[in-house]
Amino acid sequence: MSIRVLPEEVASQIAAGEVVERPSSVVKELVENAIDAGAHDVRVETRAGGKRSIRVTDDGCGVPAAEVELAFHRHSTSKLTTADDLARITTLGFRGEALASIAAVSRVTFVTRAVDEPVGTLLRLEGGRVITRQESGRPPGTAVTVEDLFFNVPARRKFLRSERTERRHIDGWLTRYALAYPALRFTLAHDGRVVFQSPGNDRLRDVLIAVYGLEVGAAVLEIVPDDQQPVSGIRVTGFVSPPSLHRANRGYITLFVNGRWVQDVRLTYAVIQAYHTLLPSGRYPLAVVMVRLPPEEVDVNVHPAKAEVRFRDSDAVFRAVQKAVRRTLLERSPVPIAARPLAAWPAPSAQWRERRERLTGLKPRPAGEQLRLRGERPDVEAPGRVFTPPAGKLPPLRVVGQLGATYIVAEGPEGMYLIDQHAAHERVLFERLLAEREQAEVASQALLEPVPVELTPEAASLLEEHLDVLGSLGFRVEPFGGMTMLVRALPAIVAETDPARVLEDVAAALSAGNVPLADTVEEAVARQVCKRAAVKAGQILAQEEMEKLVRALEQCASPRTCPHGRPTMIHLSVEQLAREFGR
Amino acid sequence: MKVSCLQENLAKGLSIIGRAVSPRSTLPVLGNVLLATDAGRLKLSATNLEIGINCWIGAKVEDEGAITVPARTFIDLVNALPPERVDMELIVRTQTLNLRAGRSEANIKGIDAQEFPIVPVPEGEGGIPVEPDVLRTAISQVTFAAATDESRPILTGVLAKFEDAQLTLAAADGFRLSVRTVSLPQSVSDPFNIIIPARALVELGRISGEQKEPIVIIITPTRNQVLFQLTDVVLVSQLIDGNFPDYRQIIPRDYTTHTVVDTAAFLKACKTALIFARDAAHITRLHIKPGTELAPGSMLVSATSAETGDDVSELDASIEGDEIEIAFNVKYLIDVLSVVGTPQVALDTTTPSSPGVIRPVGDLNFTHVIMPMHLGR
Repeated sequence: MSIRVLPEEVASQIAAGEVVERPSSVVKELVENAIDAGAHDVRVETRAGGKRSIRVTDDGCGVPAAEVELAFHRHSTSKLTTADDLARITTLGFRGEALASIAAVSRVTFVTRAVDEPVGTLLRLEGGRVITRQESGRPPGTAVTVEDLFFNVPARRKFLRSERTERRHIDGWLTRYALAYPALRFTLAHDGRVVFQSPGNDRLRDVLIAVYGLEVGAAVLEIVPDDQQPVSGIRVTGFVSPPSLHRANRGYITLFVNGRWVQDVRLTYAVIQAYHTLLPSGRYPLAVVMVRLPPEEVDVNVHPAKAEVRFRDSDAVFRAVQKAVRRTLLERSPVPIAARPLAAWPAPSAQWRERRERLTGLKPRPAGEQLRLRGERPDVEAPGRVFTPPAGKLPPLRVVGQLGATYIVAEGPEGMYLIDQHAAHERVLFERLLAEREQAEVASQALLEPVPVELTPEAASLLEEHLDVLGSLGFRVEPFGGMTMLVRALPAIVAETDPARVLEDVAAALSAGNVPLADTVEEAVARQVCKRAAVKAGQILAQEEMEKLVRALEQCASPRTCPHGRPTMIHLSVEQLAREFGR
Repeated sequence: MKVSCLQENLAKGLSIIGRAVSPRSTLPVLGNVLLATDAGRLKLSATNLEIGINCWIGAKVEDEGAITVPARTFIDLVNALPPERVDMELIVRTQTLNLRAGRSEANIKGIDAQEFPIVPVPEGEGGIPVEPDVLRTAISQVTFAAATDESRPILTGVLAKFEDAQLTLAAADGFRLSVRTVSLPQSVSDPFNIIIPARALVELGRISGEQKEPIVIIITPTRNQVLFQLTDVVLVSQLIDGNFPDYRQIIPRDYTTHTVVDTAAFLKACKTALIFARDAAHITRLHIKPGTELAPGSMLVSATSAETGDDVSELDASIEGDEIEIAFNVKYLIDVLSVVGTPQVALDTTTPSSPGVIRPVGDLNFTHVIMPMHLGR
C-alpha cells in the first residue's frame, strides 16, 4: 500500500476529533471564546441535547469584519503571538483550533459585530467551507450557531449518547464556568426552557446556591485566606463543605487552576486529605477550589481538551490546597445543627443572653476584665461588646447534666449543646496522645535478615533522596542496586507489617508531600484511645468529670469530631428552640 | 448407628478434637464433629482442612454407622450430662442423633457423614518415633517464634529437619529465631526437611500432655501431609510448601560480651519493664556492666514511657567481655525466658545493633536469636 498525504478535508476532520468530541465540547470551546472576548453575559441554547443545534451568544468584543474568515483558519488566534507567550498563558484558549475544528464537522452560522464597527458580519460555513457572507445587524458581540454536529462524520455521530446524557455534559461544563467566573452571567436553556442561570454579581456563594441549591450554598464554608503572602505566589480561594455535609463520591470536588477547570487526582486528594478524621469513612467533601498562581508556574498545554495541567512545583500546590482547606475546617466549621440544618448560625439575641446570664449568674469574662472594681454591678455588660467564640475552639460551655448516661447536656452563649461523652473523650485523648507521641523518641526494630524490596523506579529514587528522613523515622534502608532497596530495620510501629508495603506507603506519602507514617501513627493512637481509655456510653459521670471533659474538649484543635469522623456534639440554637416552642 | 459409651470418655475425646473444628466456615460440615463406629470403638473426628484430629474411645457398638453433629451444641451438651453411660442412636430418616443419659434425652440435628472430609489415618508400619516429653518441650521452645501474619506463609511454619539421629526444629518471624535439637531413638535413613504449620504443633503439644508412649511421626508418600500418631489419637496436618530460610547463617558465631543471669530474676525484671514498655513500642534497655575486683557484674533492665513513667531493675550477672547497652522488644525476651527451662540463662552480644543470642546454661540444644531495637530522634 502506498503512502499518501491525506487530503486537507480528512486531515482537518481528524484534528477536529481531538478538540470536538461531543456537543458539550462545542459548548466548552465557544464559552471559553466568549469569556476570552470579555463578555459579561453568556447565553447558551441547545436543541436535542446539542445534537440538532447549539447557540452561544455573548456581549464580548466581537470580531472585526476584516478578520472574520481568518477566525476559521486553523492555528489562527488573537490570543497568542509568539512561542514565548505559551509560557504565560492567561486566556482560556490559545491554540487557535476551536473554531476551525467545530466548523470542519458541522454547519456554522457566525454573526459578529466588533464594538467599534457600525455593521456586523454574518458568515455561514458548511464542513469548513464558506457558503455565505453578508453584512448583518446585531448588538456588539458574537453569536455562534452550530447545527447538525458531525453531519459529515457518521462514525462520530453514531457514538453520541442519548439526549439526556449530552445535556448532562453540557450542564456540567456550564456550571463549572459559572463557578469559575462568578462575575459573569451565564444562562443555559435546553429546547427553549431556561434550566440554569447564574446571577453574575461576582459572589461565588450565590453561584453555589444556583448550582447546588440553597441548603448547600448556605452551609459551605469560604476558604480562609492565608495571612502571610505566600512566597510561591499560590493563592487558594473557594468554598468547601463543613464536615457535616458530605457526599458518596469525589464528583463534588471541583478544581480550577487560573480559572480553568481541571481534573487532577492529586489536588482532589489534597482536598480529601484535609478532611482526614473529620468525615465518616467512604464519604467525600463537596468543594469548589480555585487555585491561582503565576502563569509561568503551570503548563496548560498538555491535554487536547485542556482538562489536565502540569505544575512546575506540584508539591507546593498540593500543600497550599491541603493547608487552606484544613485551616478553613479548623477555624470555621460549625457544630452540626440538630434536626433540619438552618441556613446559617445566627448570633444569639441580646435578650436571650441577658436572661441567661441573669438566671445562671454566668457570663463570659474576657481576660482583661479581672480587675473589675467590687462596687461595679457585675450584670451590666459594657455596651457594644459582643462575645465571639475563639476561632476553631468551642465557646465556653456550662454543663447542665447528663442524659441517658451517654450525652452531656451543656449550655453555651448560643443555645444548647448535646455532647456525646464517648466521642468527646476520644477526641481529647487522641489529641493528647498524639502530642506525646510527637515528643517521644522513635523506636526502630532490626530485622533478622535484611529484606530486599523491589520498588518502582520513581519510588526507589524518591526513597534514595530521602534516606535521612527514613533514618529519622526508624528505618535502616540501603540502596541495593537498580530499583531494589535492602531493609535492615523498620520503625517499631510498623514492624509487624510487610516491609515492601511499608516502603511503598512511605514513598507514596513522600510524593504526595505528606509526613510518612503519620497516618499509621494516628491510627495506632486512635485504636489505643478506643480500646482502653475513653469513657463509654452508659457510664454515669459526676458533675466534675463532665466539666473536666468539656473543658478539655474546649482546648482541642478540632473538637467537633471524634478521631473516626463522627460528630462529638449537636447544637440546638436559641432561635431553633424558640421556634420549636412557637414563642 | 447405635452405640453406648461413658460420659467422661466422650467428653475427653471431644476436648481433644474440639480445637480442630472450624467455627466459621462457609462449609457447614466443618463446624461439625464426626461420630463413627470403628472396629468396636467410637471414632471422633474434626478438621478445618489445615489440621484434622481423630480420636478413638471405648464404646459398646450395637449397630454400625456414622453421623456428623454441630460441634458447639454437642460438646456443650455432653459436658452438661451426668457422669454416666450415654446411649446414642442415629435416626437415619431425619439424620438426627438421639442421645440419652440418666434421665435426660436430647435430639441433635446432624449432617450426613458422607459430606465430611476424610481425615487420613496411618496405614501400615513405619514412621519415626520421638519421646513425647522431649517433643513437647521442643515445640514450646520453638513455635512462639513463628510468624502469625500471612505475608510470608513460610514463616508461619516450623522447619523440621530430620538428619541421622537428630530432629531440629526452627522457627523465625523476621525479628527472632528459635532453634531446638532433639535426639531421635533411631537414625533416619535419608535426611529430609518439612515445614509444619506452627498451629498444628501447638495443638500437638496441647493434646499430648498425657502421652507416655513415643509419638510416631509419619510423612505421607505424597509428602504433603504429616501424621502424628499418639495412643488412640492421630493428628494430621498439611505441610507448607517452600524453602525455609537458612537459619544457620543467622546465628552469630562469636560475641564480645557473655552475660549469665538467673532466669527467673531476668524474667521478673522483664515483666516489670513491660508495664512501662507497652506504651513505648515494647522497647526495653539492658545495660550490662562487667564486674570489677571489688563489685560483681550487673545487668540493668529499664523501660521508659513518655506517658506513664519509667523503671529500672538491677540483676546480679556474671559477665565476660565489654560493657554494653542494648535494647530489645521486651515481649520477645519474656517469650523466650518463659521457655528456657534452666535456672540460668546466657546472653551473648556484640554491638547494640547486632543480634543477641540467648541460650540455656548447661543445655546445648536450644538457641534463640533476637534482633535489637534502636531509639533515635
